[in-house]
Amino acid sequence: MTAPPADIPAHLPHRYPFLLVDRVLEREPGVRVVAEKLVTFGEPYLQGHFQGRPLVPGVLLLEMLAQAGGFLESDSLHDTAIFLAGVQDARFKAPALPGDRLRLEVRADGAFAGMVKLRGTVSCEGRELCIASLVVKRL
Amino acid sequence: MSDLKLRVKEMIIERLKLEGMTPDQIGDEDPLFGEGLGLDSIDALELVLGIEQVFGVKIEDEAAGLKAFKSVQALTDFIAENAKA
Repeated sequence: MTAPPADIPAHLPHRYPFLLVDRVLEREPGVRVVAEKLVTFGEPYLQGHFQGRPLVPGVLLLEMLAQAGGFLESDSLHDTAIFLAGVQDARFKAPALPGDRLRLEVRADGAFAGMVKLRGTVSCEGRELCIASLVVKRL
Repeated sequence: MSDLKLRVKEMIIERLKLEGMTPDQIGDEDPLFGEGLGLDSIDALELVLGIEQVFGVKIEDEAAGLKAFKSVQALTDFIAENAKA
């Protein structure tokens, strides 16, 4: 297992307000990544989702898994075009709220012809919030 | 229909969630992609994973995929050839 990269912006091209990975805890390129996203009241999207009742949009949990999945690649993604090509069997079991430390676990399921299938879980304090399979395409 | 060919068709239907479709509705020589079944590149990835899981046969690259995914018949032959190895 290689050491987690200290510099997340050096690896992912995403930027504020759309960089949704705060820490990489475990990383085995091509196999498995465990990362974290810390949710705060300061998240811009919580202003309207929803007023007085902030909860992280489910699609952003999928995006968090996709971004965490970027660390399955050993090299920086700044010079690579990677797109979300599919979402399968997504389940949202419980809301993610301000104050939550979200654990993003992503495993590579297989690859063919530039497509990679990932299986991901978002959990908080041992409780599963979201599971989904993602397909990403690398150009 | 050979036993393996039937299992290939069942795997395609199950893996790609072709609900309401039965094995006898898939012609042996129908192209899987484009015309015919009309599958796309995400379906190709699903099939590659399904073939590996169900039959223990790897489709390594696009060249192998091009050959194997020509039709159900081609896929059945590909699996039969490579399962023995």
